Amino acid sequence: MRTRNGVFGRWGGKRVSRREAIRTVAGATVGALALASMPGPSVRVAAAAGVVNQGKAVTIGLASEPNSLDPHLVVGRNTEIFVANVFDGLTARDASANILPSLATEWGFLGDGSSWQFKLRQGVTFHNGDPFDAESVKFTIERVINPDTKSPIAAQMATIAGVDIVDASTVVVRTKQPDIMIPNRLGELYGGMLSPAHTMATDAATLATKPNGTGPFMLTEWVKNERLVLQANPSHWRGPASVSQITVRPILEDAARIAALQTGEVDFIANVPYERIAELRADPNLVVKTIATPRVFFVSMDPRVKPFDDVRVRQALNYAVDVDAIISALYLGHATRIATAVPTAAFGYDASVTPYPYDPAKARELLTEAGYPNGFSVEFDSFTGSIADHSRPAEAIVEYLRQVGIDVKMNVFEFGAFGPRRVANQVSPLHIYSIGNSFFEPAWVLKFMMQQNLGLFYRNEEIYNLCNQAEATFDASARVPIYAKVQQLLKDDAGFIFLFQNDAVFAMNKKVSYEPRADETQWLYPLQSM
Amino acid sequence: MTAYVVQRLLLAVLVVFGVSIVTFFLTFLSGDPAVLMLPPDASAEQIARFRSEWGFDRPIIVQYGNFLWRALQGDMGTSLRHGTPALPLIAERLPATLQLTVTAMLLAVALAIPLGVISATQRGSPIDLLTMTVALVGQAVPNFWLSIMGILLFSVTLGWLPTSGRGSVLHIVMPAGVLAIGLMALLTRLARSTMLEVLSEDYVRTARAKGLREWVVLSRHALRNALIPLVTVIGLQFGYILGGAVVIETVFTWPGVGLFTIQAISNRDYPVVQASVLILSSAVVLINLLVDLLYGVLDPRIRVQA
Repeated sequence: MRTRNGVFGRWGGKRVSRREAIRTVAGATVGALALASMPGPSVRVAAAAGVVNQGKAVTIGLASEPNSLDPHLVVGRNTEIFVANVFDGLTARDASANILPSLATEWGFLGDGSSWQFKLRQGVTFHNGDPFDAESVKFTIERVINPDTKSPIAAQMATIAGVDIVDASTVVVRTKQPDIMIPNRLGELYGGMLSPAHTMATDAATLATKPNGTGPFMLTEWVKNERLVLQANPSHWRGPASVSQITVRPILEDAARIAALQTGEVDFIANVPYERIAELRADPNLVVKTIATPRVFFVSMDPRVKPFDDVRVRQALNYAVDVDAIISALYLGHATRIATAVPTAAFGYDASVTPYPYDPAKARELLTEAGYPNGFSVEFDSFTGSIADHSRPAEAIVEYLRQVGIDVKMNVFEFGAFGPRRVANQVSPLHIYSIGNSFFEPAWVLKFMMQQNLGLFYRNEEIYNLCNQAEATFDASARVPIYAKVQQLLKDDAGFIFLFQNDAVFAMNKKVSYEPRADETQWLYPLQSM
Repeated sequence: MTAYVVQRLLLAVLVVFGVSIVTFFLTFLSGDPAVLMLPPDASAEQIARFRSEWGFDRPIIVQYGNFLWRALQGDMGTSLRHGTPALPLIAERLPATLQLTVTAMLLAVALAIPLGVISATQRGSPIDLLTMTVALVGQAVPNFWLSIMGILLFSVTLGWLPTSGRGSVLHIVMPAGVLAIGLMALLTRLARSTMLEVLSEDYVRTARAKGLREWVVLSRHALRNALIPLVTVIGLQFGYILGGAVVIETVFTWPGVGLFTIQAISNRDYPVVQASVLILSSAVVLINLLVDLLYGVLDPRIRVQA
């Protein structure tokens, strides 16, 4: 990767380290999947296909299945993370979230301040034989940003103004404002490329269920709620996948999914509850793998409301909560304590900024200093039924706050009911939330958390301006010191109670090998069957 | 008889219409689809745009009007999640649900009636005691717990049955079995008590006095009369079985309407939830209609009165 850095200098723009750029994007993505059902790859040696150097068929059990395989009409994280098996983006990521070339072989920022040029891989064809070229890129991007498409992922492409074809294998993506994340946005999650001829000639229902991409697998059968069968694409540009056929079975119930792994009905499962890890690890036939997701949990404090305008109070709340105890009791250790809202895999993560220690005495002292020796009364909102469990950690946090003398009234909502309260900005001064965004670039998440809307009203102008500065800095290495400063300021100004990022858990039998990715993408290409 | 059928049919249509109103407004009370469809990090503008694109920002009465107008034309709307019409999505899954529920129903009836009759005729015997104890336990134990225990025993430990999914005959054994147990328990107890009641009727004494064989007394004179309340309960229980199927389908990933509806509810996929509730409630109404008509066959008094 490193040798490719700076390749685009000749285009007159700033030099871009592809690796940096990709890491940024990847980190954010990981979080979103976190607790939700992430289907993992599982393998079952059901039948030997008998093709040279492949021939293995594998069955995997996921906690959900895609809703649609039209990459522009995917709804929800579980689908977003699956489409990469059938579609390629212009970029991809490795297991540690570094950006790699995919359908684009190289790319760079053009000096005009608002466009990126991509060189496209040549000789790639869609599953139906249509050629992939600059037309495909223009068509695909213009389709997703077209309001008539009603794409739920259009927001991820909101900075794109249009696409110009330079020649059959070169495109320029114009943006409405400078955007360092364009290569990330056009990656595996949202940048799946479509064939213009096929897409225009096919009705919506067929596009949703019989996808035609350039990806490593072709979908050959899909009986919704029963199974989805992927066949390795023999002419894939990376070379055919080592497993020739993957049957994906959605098994919603945790206990049933685990039982299916134990009986050998499936070879790999995702979304193993933390409580079952020890039992599965004790089984000599099974392997359990965990990976930190980029979903970061935090408690938002509303600084427009007294006493949260006082930094000492906000710091006191950070000292008051024993996050490590919550991690060990509720997550059985399968979560990572973080100092701010920047997850460990994110670009520019600074490990030298350490989390607030648990120190209730210090918390009381700060509250007294701030003029609240006897605490104060406040309401705290949490919710159930979202992608991740927020209500159990919230209960623990509330109890810790009570122990330093704060009189907390807790409200628990169903997520469907909490959502409209966020939109109407009717949330309590304290509420728990989590974000696992699609891009590993801290500025994006932090600006979201400081948006002055959706119940998020904290903003530190210095941090916000540094984030803006980072977003205008195309030289990735120059963003690192900016982010280091951001993280220190975030911690000191304590705009949130910073908590943790949780793990994703996968289990498989010994017939299969798989390394989960930091971004939780269900990328099945590297799946191996012994 | 014709007037009776017409009256029942009209009533059924009214019930389904009522269900449509309740379903429509209840789904709207349960939350906002935009917040669940869009990623948690969607901005306020994105949420507002989504709501207006899908019409969720219009007054609820207007939305109901549109819903009803389309529903009358057989269009239940487009699934927010699958992007295809909701009605065919549900219809495709109906066979799996019917296979599961009808199998469970037959299983329950086939076991419950003989067991109830035996218990009644040998009241107080060890067989009666055993049957009633099993029935009590069967009614008391929640079926999701039984399902998980079944999977642990028959799939993980013994390896006899698959853990989940649909396909071979073996796949239906556990889900239908678990679903049947609760109903079987209820029907056994009911069969026993109605048989006991009927056996003390004058016409049974008369039959015995005529010197008929006990078998004929039981089957032709007692059981046939005991069946009338049983048929009512079986009909009413069909709704219960469909409700139970939602749980069982989820645990065993049985690809029927129940599993699909649960997913649609948690995704706030309103058109699918509405279509599914309408179809399931129509099924229950239809079954009850058939039960009403069956009365006429079983009990000539009803036929004559009508």
